Order: sequence, then C-alpha cells, then structure tokens
Amino acid sequence: MEPGRDDFVIAVRSAFLKKGNKQKFSLLSLILFSIIFLILNNFNFKIINFNRAVIKEIIYYSSFIINVPEQAVERSFIKVSDHFDHYDSYLIIKNELQKLKGKDLEKKIIEYENVELKKLIDDYFIEDGQAFAKVLIDKDSPFLRSIVINKGSKNEVKVGMTVYDDIYLVGKIVEVNFLTSRVLLISDINSKVPITIQPLNIQGIMSGLDKQSGQIQYIDQKDLSNFNKENLIVVTSGVGGIFKSGIPIGEINLVDNLLNEKLVVNFYQNFSQLKYVKILSHVKENLNIDLSNKKIFEANNDQIFQINNQAQDIKVLKQQKIINDEVQFKLQSENIRLKNNLVNVQKELNKSSKKNKENKERNKDLEFLELNLLYGHKCKKSFFRSQLYKIGTNKYRACVLNKGPIKKIR
Amino acid sequence: MNNNKKYFLYKHTPVILLFTSILNEIDFNLEFRYFSFNFAYILIFYYSLKREGSIGYVLIFIAGLFNDVINGLPMGISSLSYLLLCTAAAYLRNITLRPNLIKDWIYFLITILILNFITYTYLILFINYEIDYFVQTANIIGTFLLYIVFSFIFKFYDNFILGRSN
Repeated sequence: MEPGRDDFVIAVRSAFLKKGNKQKFSLLSLILFSIIFLILNNFNFKIINFNRAVIKEIIYYSSFIINVPEQAVERSFIKVSDHFDHYDSYLIIKNELQKLKGKDLEKKIIEYENVELKKLIDDYFIEDGQAFAKVLIDKDSPFLRSIVINKGSKNEVKVGMTVYDDIYLVGKIVEVNFLTSRVLLISDINSKVPITIQPLNIQGIMSGLDKQSGQIQYIDQKDLSNFNKENLIVVTSGVGGIFKSGIPIGEINLVDNLLNEKLVVNFYQNFSQLKYVKILSHVKENLNIDLSNKKIFEANNDQIFQINNQAQDIKVLKQQKIINDEVQFKLQSENIRLKNNLVNVQKELNKSSKKNKENKERNKDLEFLELNLLYGHKCKKSFFRSQLYKIGTNKYRACVLNKGPIKKIR
Repeated sequence: MNNNKKYFLYKHTPVILLFTSILNEIDFNLEFRYFSFNFAYILIFYYSLKREGSIGYVLIFIAGLFNDVINGLPMGISSLSYLLLCTAAAYLRNITLRPNLIKDWIYFLITILILNFITYTYLILFINYEIDYFVQTANIIGTFLLYIVFSFIFKFYDNFILGRSN
C-alpha cells in the first residue's frame, strides 16, 4: 500500500507543481490566482471594478474583431439563401403587406385611444432616452443568454434600461461598461418578465426556456382552456416598473400547449439574428404647472373644497328633512285617528244623552203612574168634586205629581 | 507549405483553436433545442493529456477569463475549471503507462462532472444563478460523447501535419 500512496502523492504533486519546460507558472499558482479572482468578484472596490471594466472592454472588442470573418461568412450565407427564397418570400410579403396596411390604420386609432386612457390612469410613459446600438457579441452560453452591445456609460446607458428590436422586447441592460453593455435576453432562464396574456388579461411571470421561447410561471393551463382562439398574445404588464406595459413579446399557441405541462411563449423575434437594437428608458409624463396655473389650481381646489362642504351640509339637511317629513306624517295620521275617535266618542255621547233623556222621561211617567195609583182619586173630576181635573189633562198630571190638588192660600 | 509553417501550425493550432472557439461567435449550442457541448473542455483535456505544454497554463488561464467575460460569468470561474481540467489530465498522464482511449474517455466524464459540480455550486450559492439542469445535463452528455469524435479528429490532424512535415 505504501508505494501506491507514494505514487499517488508523486503524481498529484507532479500534476500541480510541475511547470514543464516552457510553463512560467505552475498549475497550483494559477488555480490560486483564479480563486483570488473569484473572491475579488464579490467585492465592490473601485480599482477592481475599473480593471474588470477595462478587461471586459478589451475582450469584447477583440471578440468582435475575431468575429468579423465569421459574420461575413454568415451574412453571405444568409444572402445566398435569401436569394433562393426571394420569389416565394415576395409573394408572402405582398399578401401580408396588404393585410397589414388595413390593420395599421386600426392600430393607430387604438394607439391614440390607449395613450388617452393611460394618461387618465397615470400610467403613460414617455421615452426619456433612446439609443441605437450594434450587437458586438451574441454568443449563446448554456449558463447565460445575453448579448453585448457597443454602447456603454459613455452613451448614458444605465443598468435596467429596456432593449428592443423594432417594437419587440429583447431584454434589459444588466451590466454597463464604459463603451459596452451586456443585455440579458428574455430567453434566459434568469430573466423574469411580468407579463399579461391578452385578451384574457391574465397576469403572470415569464422566464426564458430556450432560444426562441419562454415559459410562463404561476399560471395554470386550466385558466386558458376556456379560450376559443388558437393564439394568445403576450405583452409586458408593467407590474413592478421594470418594463413599461404593453411591449409585445410573443404568442402562446394553445393547440401546441395542450399536451405540454409548461405554458410556452413563442417569441416574435429571433434573438440569434440580432444586429442592431434600440435602448430606451421611460419616465412618467411630467405635467409642468406654472405659478399662475398653480394659483388657479389652488383656487379651484378651495372652491371644490367649499362645494364639497356645502354638499355635505345639504346632504345632512336633506336627511333631516326626510326625518321631519316622516315625523309629520306620523303626527298627521295620529291626528286623523284621534279626530275619528273624537267623533265616535261624540256620537256615543249623544246617543247616551238621548237615552238618558228617554230614561228620565220614562222615569217621570213611571213616577206619575205610581202616584196616579196612589193619588189619582184625589185629583179625578167626579160628580161630587167638579172643581178637580179631567183625566189626561196637564192639570190632572200636575195634581197627581203634587200628590193631591194644590191648596190655595187664603 | 514549408516545414516551418507546418511546425508552427502543429505547435499553435491548439491555442488558436482554443481562443477562436472562445472569442468567436461560433457557438457549440447548435440549433437543436437541448444539444450543446463544451468544446474548450474537450480541447484542453485532449491536448493537456496527449501533448503536454501545447497550450500554456497561463494561456488557458487567460482563455478562461475571456470565456467568463464573453459569457457573462463571474471572472475566474472558467479559468478555475480549465486549470482543474489540466490538473486532472496531468495526473492521468503521470499515472498512465499504456494510454487507452476508452479509459481516457471515462476519466474525462468523471472530471467534467466534478468540474461542473464545482461551477454550479459556486454559481448557485454565491451568485444566485438559476440553472436549467436539463440543458446542463445535455451539455455534459454532449461534451462527453463528442470527446471521442474530437479525439480522432485531433489525432488525425496531428498525424496529418506531422506526416507531411516528416
């Protein structure tokens, strides 16, 4: 075992430390140097950043120069293949042009409407800075899908600016050097773009999937299953303020996506064919209000405030009136009810007084009859007492009630 | 072509190929959706194993830096990978008495697996990169499978140049 271990140690030592005839540094020293580089990457020192930027500038431009022959070959190849496809393409383009002319007019009208509506909801962005840049390097790495462009901090390019190809979204600036910048393409897995799926107006996040497509996250396919048309349009939603809203990205083909678990967006643009890109930054439209306007604005505000207060008072008064009306109505109805009661009571009273009267008369008659039985003979006119009264006359009655004839005082 | 030119080609082809492949836009990710391979790994491993000193370690280190800058990776990570690949190749060369292509091939697979593990670990833990493992696996498999193809091509090229020069 001992010689084996020795062999291993010798082999490892030799691999790490043996410089060879023409090597100036051993592998170990260079590995350490790489590790130092990696560690320094994590520090944000000015000198390191400057050196890093210089190295990057040199490498980008050397890469661009080395690319020239390849690009020339590629361009020639594309030219030749374009020539072969020329007539077929011409016919297709001719047809498309006619359709697009019609659509263009519609689009302009919609754009104007859109601008007006966005201004209303304070979501209207105007272009703050615009620059066109040439793509220096578009090497596709399995780690990072990005391109390098020939505009940097010298041209006021800043991290986070949006990059377009025509009107389509390409990506955003993630690294800025003095003369060059790196654009992270939306096809990269690390790019997260807030999107809206139109016309369903569903919000989501899109990350890159491969060169020509992206994948929508956080949206279930069932949400889209009710949609009848084949294609859905994907545009930026503007959520988070990373990109302005409404930048076209690509389309979702529902038929293709039926069998997939992933929701795949096919980009409108081919990012491997980028030659020039447009860099834009956007700001919200700033409404300049001068001093006089400001005073008018304030006066209007005061008026609005007063009107609002008055409106509040009127509202309170109205409510009070409603309550008063209700109370009045209740009182009136109570009054009517009481009046009716009073009339009824009056009627009852009349009835009872009548009855009383009748009863009194009846009582008088009864008393007369009783007294008549007892004293009738004293008042009754007869042969012997002719001075008395005839039955049924008032005098007779008075005599009976008096319990006998009225004695005259002499 | 005179002998000097042939010797120059023989001597510097690996370096030229390495830097061209790194600086050039000829990407080896091809048009297939998930097929890609790392040409630099194949080249560095092959020439470090078969022809020691054909690509200087300093040049490999610089090539790594170039690769990082162009691909937007943290500077130094590719250099570290390339140099570790050289170390692995140097170790294999030291312990090998009778070279065998299949053994080299398997050893190459193990090496690139370890190297990619180191790279991904660094990118995920320190830089917070999101990695598509499917693409990376495809890249490793592609690199592994094409090693044997490129071995034959490089061998043929070297023999061709040497044969003519001899």
